[in-house]
Amino acid sequence: MGGQHAWKVVDRTVAAIDPAEAIAAVSDVGFGGIDVFIGKVRDLNQGRAVQGITYDLFEPLVMQEIGRLVAEVEAQFGPRVTLYVAHAKGRLAVGEVAVVVAAGTPHRDAAFRACRQLIESVKHRLPIWKQEHYEDGDSAWSEGCSLCQDTAEADDHAHAHGQPTHC
Amino acid sequence: MKQIQVQLFGAFSELDPSREIVVQTEGERVGDLRRALRALLARQWPQFKAGLLDYSAFADERQVLRDGDRLPEDGRVAILPPVSGG
Repeated sequence: MGGQHAWKVVDRTVAAIDPAEAIAAVSDVGFGGIDVFIGKVRDLNQGRAVQGITYDLFEPLVMQEIGRLVAEVEAQFGPRVTLYVAHAKGRLAVGEVAVVVAAGTPHRDAAFRACRQLIESVKHRLPIWKQEHYEDGDSAWSEGCSLCQDTAEADDHAHAHGQPTHC
Repeated sequence: MKQIQVQLFGAFSELDPSREIVVQTEGERVGDLRRALRALLARQWPQFKAGLLDYSAFADERQVLRDGDRLPEDGRVAILPPVSGG
């Protein structure tokens, strides 16, 4: 059996996300496979030079929703799976870690798939917003995924970024 | 008439520095709040990209609310534009 799942929001003014913590959190003597996804701030988006990103979160709901996402992944890959999610809050510079998702399982296939499912859900279903700050001084909120659609549709990726579903 | 405090996130957070606005609604449902907010945006922030409201959800601290749901008893909701985490 794995350990306890863990998830948190990390305020950048207080600390940086540590991927080593994710590995430790999902490690178990019975787990031969650990998969870790690390999302970092990129220096270019749609041809514009990016200086940094501010992440805005509705934190109480983020924590509730991660609990639901973790339960869904555990229902599919568990009970021998341990999961970890950390997402940054506040302003990050290029190269800094915005999100870490990790999955530990007995074998690599389940670790890869559980981690992939969890990061996709984190990106599409958590109430988190990204404001990009560009080198030219301009800033813009990213177009994303509407939460108006049903969960099943969201997981099926039945949406197009920038063309979300009407509520 | 019900008074709802709406917490603002993402692009909506630029409407007011307090990141919160008060909306008077005629009904008890989330859809009533959506209609009232649409009218308020047109009146008070005509420059705002009002179409964003059509793609935005409402929520309390525990769950996303659908338009047919009753508004929370405490009169506090958040507006969630399309998300872009990660």
